Amino acid sequence: MLAVAVSMAVSATPATAQITTGSDPEHELIFSWDRWLDHDELNERMEIMADQWPEFLTLETIGQSYGGRDLKIMTINNPETGDELDKAAMFIEANVHGNEIQGGEVVIYTIWYLMENYDRIPEIRRLVDERVFYLLPSVNPDGRDWFMDQTGSGARTGHVPVDSDGDGLFDEDGPNDLNGNGVIEQIRKYVPGAGDFIIDPDNPNSLRRVGPNERGDWILLGSEGIDDDGDGRVNEDPPGGYDPNRNYPSDWQPEYVQGGAMNYPFELPEPRAIEEFMVSKPNIAGSQSFHNTGGMILRGPGAAWYGDYPQSDVRVYNELGENGERMLPWYDYFVVWQGLYAVHGGQLDWANDGHGAVGFSNELWNGGQYYQSPLLTEQQRDEDTPIGGGRSNYFFDDFLTFGRNYVEWAPFDHPQYGEVEMGGFRKLQGRVNPRFMSMELFHRNMAFTLYQADEMPLMSMGEAEVERVSGNTFKVRVPIRNERLMPTILERARRYNVVDPDILTLEGADVLMAGWVDEHNFEGTVDRIDQAELDRILIRSGHPGRTTRYIEYLVQGSGNVTIEYASQKGGTVSTTVALN
Amino acid sequence: MGKTMKVVVTLALVAATATAAEAQQAYRSYDQLTEAIQSLVGGSDAASVESIGESRDGRDVWLVTLAGDGPLPAEDRPGIMVVGTLEGDHLIGGEIAVEAIRWLLEQDGSNDEVTRLLSENVVYAVPRLNPDGAEAYFGDLAWGRRGNAWQEDDDNDARMAEDGPNDLNGDGVVTVMRVPDRSGDLIPHPDDPRLMKEADPVEGESGTHTMYREGTDDDGDGFIAEDGPGGVDLNRNFQHEYPYWEADAGRHMVSEPESRAIMDFMVDNRNIAAILTFGHTDNLVEPPNGQGRLASPRTISLMDWAEMSNADVFDVGVFGGQTNFGNLQQRGAQLGRDNPPEQGRRPVTTYNGQDRPYFATVSDAYREITGIEETGYHRAPEGAFFEFGYFQYGVPSFSTQGWAMPEAEGDTFDQRLLNAMDAAGSDGFVDWEPFTHPTLGEVEIGGFHPYMAVNPPPDVIPQLGAAHGEFIARLGGMLPNVRFVEATAEAIGGGLWKVDATVENAGYFPTALAHGQVSRSVDPTLVQIQVDPEAVVSGDAKSARTARIDGSGGTANYSWIIRGSAGQTIEITSRAQKGGRDSITVTLR
Repeated sequence: MLAVAVSMAVSATPATAQITTGSDPEHELIFSWDRWLDHDELNERMEIMADQWPEFLTLETIGQSYGGRDLKIMTINNPETGDELDKAAMFIEANVHGNEIQGGEVVIYTIWYLMENYDRIPEIRRLVDERVFYLLPSVNPDGRDWFMDQTGSGARTGHVPVDSDGDGLFDEDGPNDLNGNGVIEQIRKYVPGAGDFIIDPDNPNSLRRVGPNERGDWILLGSEGIDDDGDGRVNEDPPGGYDPNRNYPSDWQPEYVQGGAMNYPFELPEPRAIEEFMVSKPNIAGSQSFHNTGGMILRGPGAAWYGDYPQSDVRVYNELGENGERMLPWYDYFVVWQGLYAVHGGQLDWANDGHGAVGFSNELWNGGQYYQSPLLTEQQRDEDTPIGGGRSNYFFDDFLTFGRNYVEWAPFDHPQYGEVEMGGFRKLQGRVNPRFMSMELFHRNMAFTLYQADEMPLMSMGEAEVERVSGNTFKVRVPIRNERLMPTILERARRYNVVDPDILTLEGADVLMAGWVDEHNFEGTVDRIDQAELDRILIRSGHPGRTTRYIEYLVQGSGNVTIEYASQKGGTVSTTVALN
Repeated sequence: MGKTMKVVVTLALVAATATAAEAQQAYRSYDQLTEAIQSLVGGSDAASVESIGESRDGRDVWLVTLAGDGPLPAEDRPGIMVVGTLEGDHLIGGEIAVEAIRWLLEQDGSNDEVTRLLSENVVYAVPRLNPDGAEAYFGDLAWGRRGNAWQEDDDNDARMAEDGPNDLNGDGVVTVMRVPDRSGDLIPHPDDPRLMKEADPVEGESGTHTMYREGTDDDGDGFIAEDGPGGVDLNRNFQHEYPYWEADAGRHMVSEPESRAIMDFMVDNRNIAAILTFGHTDNLVEPPNGQGRLASPRTISLMDWAEMSNADVFDVGVFGGQTNFGNLQQRGAQLGRDNPPEQGRRPVTTYNGQDRPYFATVSDAYREITGIEETGYHRAPEGAFFEFGYFQYGVPSFSTQGWAMPEAEGDTFDQRLLNAMDAAGSDGFVDWEPFTHPTLGEVEIGGFHPYMAVNPPPDVIPQLGAAHGEFIARLGGMLPNVRFVEATAEAIGGGLWKVDATVENAGYFPTALAHGQVSRSVDPTLVQIQVDPEAVVSGDAKSARTARIDGSGGTANYSWIIRGSAGQTIEITSRAQKGGRDSITVTLR
């Protein structure tokens, strides 16, 4: 493989040839990867890239968020290698939960990396030439900007107003930044002997729940805020209050079964805009929705009782997921319900069930990555070390991010609670990786999506063999192959009829009989195809991955016949042969 | 020309020569119904109409609001949602809704129940949710269109609507074909040769016929009428027990503009406290049984058997070994990551035992008022709007055909339907006529008329409208109605007062059905003492919440110790999401 790649590179464009000179040439666009971007900045980078590489990139607005922010999808397609809809496409989105930000940067990085390296790395060039990519950096820009530009508290939700406390008013009592430091802190109150927490003797910043025969001196009173609406409760109706990743139609369940689902699937403007886009792109064969956190490569189904995928589909997922584990240290390949928790109405179920696309969701960043060596992992488990017993986050912040992620506890005179202290970790701690570790996270996760994209179905057709049986009656035999792992039609998609069947047509002669060849190297009968229209054969179960099938026709006629195999997700291939 | 067309012609003649009142006695096209609604609304201060959305073909979905002058603004009053013609072939539903509106507006001021309804409640009515489907009734060919105008590739062969039914015998109606077939499963019914039955080998019977929809194999794929104009059946497009992945149920729940329009209205108007729909399922004549389930389906076998001729269309083109749905895969070994498959809860699918008596009471009232004791055609309510209304929206929610066919004998529904039609002198059954089919040879064409099996003759519309108007008024009187009955304040010294208040639910329904609580879709009743939160020293919270207050005079008591000053007037407010708002004041002395 490598040898082939190098020889291709040498014979390719001058830009590629520079690889052999040693040091990399400078990038065409110099982006920094060590800061987080708000929604405008994400879109700005996409616009810059679309201007830089117009022959490949198309930036399109597919709708607006509830807050009026543009949802912009980047299409990567090389028109020289075929029409967009005739090539399998990989859909990559991120940040449906507003506080799970770094997937947005992974998306930007992916576009940038593919374009910068198109002329440098032959495998990247091949991938861009063979495939189409659709990339959306933030599904929930209202939540993202709330997280980036505001205090970041409660940013998981979108911003469609919800009456969380049943008083007929909407979003009227959220957290408040009372001390004006830009952070929604935790509130703790000193109640000597009557609390359920004590201050960790080894770390005054850290509260620890009381053990047996201990009395606590502190209670926690929730997030920084006041009783805005004067109803006697604090922070009981913050902005939004739902989960946009429970608003998809497959196994959608109402609020009492699945919290945050809203009233019906695609009620929310952002998922609905994406759905309209995806319906217009039946070539989408793979999907990734980046989340954080936990270090997981998740597949559906979201809930066990919805039933697992058919075994042939599971085999495809397993091969991708297990190789993903090898590409992403600290990540585990899980089924959602089994490794995380039951999710009804999530995006990856809908990608699989509603679009027939292999759908993964990576939970970016794993806390294990703070301390990467086996020795340090061992120390974290030991109560008596400086990074043991819950102290690891504080140690990391002190020594590696220089205290940037922590607000020291300080007294505050609260209008409802009286004398309290406020403090705690800032929003970026925990779910979001430290900035200096971004590039590795971006690259490894991108690499997994590129691997998935490379394994989408890819049809090819070999040369037809013609044999005269008698007079103007001929046998025509053609090898048809799917070069990659994924089938053209997932078995579940076949059962749900959500993907058009593959269609095998023959033009130029009358078809008397058609069948699949049982064994190509053995002259014998075929597995007869029992359909009314043999010049237009339906293949509902699609073409399995890495498999060659031979179709044999018995035709009558003369001149040329053209045989075409058309697949929504595997492309269209054809061959023409003369009957003689 | 068959007998059915004669009936339609006769009706048209009657309509042309009748008086204005009798002119309503025909099913109305979209334009006619729109005009009727607008003229009704135009003549009343208590009625208004708006469009809540557009159908796929661009017709407005009309919503009529009935609310006269009253103590509360309409949006705070307990409301009733009335919806008709979700299924395009159920024209009677929309007609009843419009005529019920007419009757209510006429009775306002003279009938006490109606006068109360229009001053204390609000009635929202969408007479025809599916105007595109209904319009097919007025087209050249009666084929019983149930869905809207969504185009669907029903047989998933990458060709759109290429093989619909055909009117082979030119009678203007699509019925069914019975075809002599040695390998068929059906035989003419021994009691009535117009009907068919499944041959029973145990009884020594051998099948002689197969049935199809009236049509040809237009696309040459070996199937007859398997991919018609499509359309989503809106009463199969909602969120409860949604029939996933069936062509007539839509791409997903609430996929259609008409469904979205009504769902958005429901979400925005949570004062809706009861729902009445007209459609192909009943839970009013036969309320939920002791197990909380509805009656078993009763559908027309002749039509079902014809549909079954295309049952294996999706088996064509399946190659290779089929894989099973696997056992649940357990993967990964991370500590604490091995959740049990049974985690989480499942949606409720039976009517709550505490709620069933309320459904029984309403059923009694319905049968008494309308005189309807029989359920006709009745299908499983998968994805039906009224089921959303109870199981997810959490309110008393009903569905009825809105009419009854005369009582008739018969072992099967087909027999009872045919006997009832015979007794009524109806021509709803198109007699079998021989026909030479291009591919099937000698066949017979006939069977139930697609519209007459599910709609009554139009002359009964005004009478059904009045009866249902009366029922709507009765239902309004049952809605929760939460009012303060008293509030007192007593000084306890030191600038402190004890304030007590009692609210009563003067309606019949509780403020939340048991399932309304389970589904968390009905807000608790909120009683707030309107003082600074800091002034509430003890007792109930400033904002006190009560999950359920029973009807028929159920009460809830609240008590606060507040800091105040003599002469201060304290306001206490209540908000029952389904039972109105109220307030009371008390002066500290």
